[in-house]
Amino acid sequence: MRKSLIFLFLILWFLSVSTVFAETPLKKVSLIPQWIPQASFAGYIVALEKGFYLEAGIDLTLHEGGPDKSSFAQLSAGKATFCSGWLAYAIAQRVSGLRMVNLAQIIQRSALMLVARKSSGIKSPEDFNGKTVGLWEGQWRVQPRIFFHKFGVKVMIVPAYTSMNLFLKGGVDAITAMWYNEYHKILNSGLNPDELSLFFFSNFGLNMPEDGLYCMEETFKADPQLCARFVQASLKGWLYAFNHEDETVELVMKHADAAHTGTNRAHQRWMLAHMKDLIMPGGDKNRLGKLRPEDYTNAGQLLKESGMIDRLPRFDDFYVGSQ
Amino acid sequence: MRLRFSNSITLKMTLLVLGCTSLVFSIILGYNYSYSRKIILDEAEIKARNLTLSVANKIEQEFRAVTKIPQHIVSFLKTNDYNRTTLDRIIQGMVEDNPEVFGSAVGFEPNAFEEGVQSYSPYYYRTTNGLKYLQLGSASYNYFQRDWYHIPKVLKAPVWIEPYFHRRGGGIIMTAYSVPLLESAKDSAATKVKAIVSADVSLEWLTWLVASMRLGRTGYGFIMSDIGTIVTHPREEWIMRQSIFSLADEFGDSRLRQIGRAMIREKSGFTELGSTLTGEDAFIAYARIPSPGWSLGAVFPRSEIFEEVCGLYERTVLLAGLGLVLLLIASALVARSMARPLLRMSEATRKVVRGDLDIDLSDIRRKDEVGQLARDFTGMTAGLKERDRIRDTFGRYLTQEVVDRLLESKDGLRLGGEAREISMIMSDLRGFTALTSSRKPEEVINFLNHYLGKMVDILMEHRGIIDEIIGDGILAFFGAPEPMENHAASAVACALKMQAAMEEVNEGNEAEGLPRLEMGVAVNTGEVIVGNIGSEKRSKYGAVGLQVNFTGRAESFAVGGQVLVTKATYEELSDILRVRKVLKVEMKGMSGKVELYDITGIGEPYNVYLAENEETLVAVREMINVEVYRIDEKVVTESGTTARITHISSSSAIIVLHEKLSQWENVRLQLLNNQLAPVSGKVYAKVVSVVRVDDNHEAEVHFTSVSPEAEKVFRQRLGKK
Repeated sequence: MRKSLIFLFLILWFLSVSTVFAETPLKKVSLIPQWIPQASFAGYIVALEKGFYLEAGIDLTLHEGGPDKSSFAQLSAGKATFCSGWLAYAIAQRVSGLRMVNLAQIIQRSALMLVARKSSGIKSPEDFNGKTVGLWEGQWRVQPRIFFHKFGVKVMIVPAYTSMNLFLKGGVDAITAMWYNEYHKILNSGLNPDELSLFFFSNFGLNMPEDGLYCMEETFKADPQLCARFVQASLKGWLYAFNHEDETVELVMKHADAAHTGTNRAHQRWMLAHMKDLIMPGGDKNRLGKLRPEDYTNAGQLLKESGMIDRLPRFDDFYVGSQ
Repeated sequence: MRLRFSNSITLKMTLLVLGCTSLVFSIILGYNYSYSRKIILDEAEIKARNLTLSVANKIEQEFRAVTKIPQHIVSFLKTNDYNRTTLDRIIQGMVEDNPEVFGSAVGFEPNAFEEGVQSYSPYYYRTTNGLKYLQLGSASYNYFQRDWYHIPKVLKAPVWIEPYFHRRGGGIIMTAYSVPLLESAKDSAATKVKAIVSADVSLEWLTWLVASMRLGRTGYGFIMSDIGTIVTHPREEWIMRQSIFSLADEFGDSRLRQIGRAMIREKSGFTELGSTLTGEDAFIAYARIPSPGWSLGAVFPRSEIFEEVCGLYERTVLLAGLGLVLLLIASALVARSMARPLLRMSEATRKVVRGDLDIDLSDIRRKDEVGQLARDFTGMTAGLKERDRIRDTFGRYLTQEVVDRLLESKDGLRLGGEAREISMIMSDLRGFTALTSSRKPEEVINFLNHYLGKMVDILMEHRGIIDEIIGDGILAFFGAPEPMENHAASAVACALKMQAAMEEVNEGNEAEGLPRLEMGVAVNTGEVIVGNIGSEKRSKYGAVGLQVNFTGRAESFAVGGQVLVTKATYEELSDILRVRKVLKVEMKGMSGKVELYDITGIGEPYNVYLAENEETLVAVREMINVEVYRIDEKVVTESGTTARITHISSSSAIIVLHEKLSQWENVRLQLLNNQLAPVSGKVYAKVVSVVRVDDNHEAEVHFTSVSPEAEKVFRQRLGKK
């Protein structure tokens, strides 16, 4: 009697599982980050490696990003299903016709900063007057330009590219850097914090959220569930990363080494530690992945001011994360 | 008895020696060690500094050589016209002629090479198949954004480029030297960059050079760029990925960060490194390579530097340890060898305390101080033994009291005396002197010793101090040197006892065929001078004074068996003395008669009484003929007078003769037979009284000595009756 009951149970279980499987086959998608594999994409790496995407029925391919690949260009060219990119750039792209939507806002705050040598005489924003500043091109100039304008300083702008050597060799007095990345590199080139003057744009009312997850509008409309699941798994990845730093650093290093980025654990650890505060400011889980309308509006304002856009798309057209 | 360990010399000495030596060793070794370490470290520093400086110099030469190449090209381009072909040729030639160069490129600003040409950058580089050409100005390679172009352009000055991998993520590590080609702007004084000339250098030779640095077994050299990036290092995984600062960050070593900064800024240095780079504490010597601003570091572990010293130190400590052990054993042995004889001597001392002076320390045959002590100790006990013997010997010749006083008190031997009232006994044997001439010497001494032995015993019993024994005479006193209460009574009791003992003495004498003798004793009490008389060389404890003489005088009146006391003595003891009779005698030099008391007993508490001998003179049936010889001053006169003994008793007789004898005169009686011829039998006697009877004199004589033959005769006449 007992034996047959167990057998029955087993058969039922098999059926249910297989139906689940039969009903939801894995969706093959891809994600392209806007830069080389590093801890600023730890959430996705972790979600991939720990199988969160698989759990969500997603078979994700994580492409290798880099300085010569624009993530939005890849997205629009159909080379990737999802991409990560900067809010400012995305707004500008949307305005110029690229119909893509924001699925989730990951980095809630601006991590962009100006790093200057104290020895070049820069201690406060006004001191920038007459100095040479290395700026990244494109969207990265939005904040600095407004900043200089705000303080009425005339600076000599020099393009800065991927390495900080221009600054380190004394080619420029100050340079843009990400707080979670290049700033640490500058420190690990032998400069002490007390030799540097730091200017965080977020402290000067130029706080623009940065990294977010995007896809083409039609991709979203075709399968909003998929997008939602993708975002869920990605956010789960981020939460896991924050609670398992050592493991996460190892996973990130694995991807970074595969891409020959020449990084080291100390750097990735720094990066990951700073991501937590940028993604979940004050540890507030409620803000995880959400784009706040006021942040959107502010960003739009700054972009308009700097002349990058003439109009701001409707919030709900742009951000679909709440759906 | 085992000594408690903590009190033993062995332990103390051993511990002390060990402790001191250990301390001294430690100090010496410690100083030695730290000083040698210092010396070695200084040496190592000098060597390391020299090495790094020389290698850095070599590297510098190489780098300097490389800088020439782009500079030559630049100066050529400045001064000459050129087209694509000539430019190519120049670049090619430069690379070919300079084997240290891997490749060279010239990148032009947009429109700077030719109008309308946005980018133009010919590049020649080595391959295994010879030089290869590559046009860097292409869609896939934006040279304007590369450091080798961008930085010198912004700086408008030559610059060494941060090392990079020749191939993405791997391959040879390269660096480049870029020189901008400047031209003055047409309309202003400012200069403009026209092109950048760059030469690549492979750093393989650098890796090889640094790897070949001799730095002991585990030391190594490494190179880092001017921003700390590790360019060569034994740990490949660190090359290009880590900088000295990222390592300091990863391992939390802030000192390493400081060192990194110093290496970039300072010309050279030498400092402690910590364990981050090598896993164990190390030192680093560094020297800057001025041209690119890079730094060469030579790391060598601390343990290796001090290996030799440590080894030496360990061996020294081991030796010292062995030495200490040996020392321990040696000092223990020495201490024990000292302790043992000392214990033996302590044992011997205990024997001495018990009174056993037979000490044998001859097994301590050492020649040192301990041996000396043993010998001296033996000498001391011998001395004590001798002293005891002397004391005993003295005791034989002197009363114990005197000996004690002499030996024990500091003043005992002091010459000089004091006046004291004492009582004195003088005694002698009647007729002894005569005996000496008629007997063999051994017999005489034998006899004398019997007598004296008995008398001395009695005297000692009564605490009399025997002052003199002259032949048969004894002078003893009571009350000195130690004061004595009742010295008079003691003296009298003693005298009586002595007299009473004569019977015993005579019995002994008779048994040996010796004549019976009688003793006369006198006792006097008076003040005398007592003390050590004589000189330091020869002295005696004695008494002098009138009273001493007087005692002798009184004694001369005593007949055998009699105890006479002087008036002074009598008056002291009259209550308890039993007086037989009182003699009134005349003494030479003294006026009037002197009273002498014949006593026969002393009462409580002494209770000594003489047996009252029946002294009744018995008339003899037949008169005994005798020849009477008068003795004048102890000399028997030649001729004698014939006389007859009419009465006789055991101790006296009455003689009738014509001659008048004087009272107290001593006479010798020779027995005669009926024919008036001498027969054997001699008697010595003292005249006690003389009475005139008709024509004759009747003299009562008291025997002092009776020869055995005479004794026999008398007994016959007496006893058989």
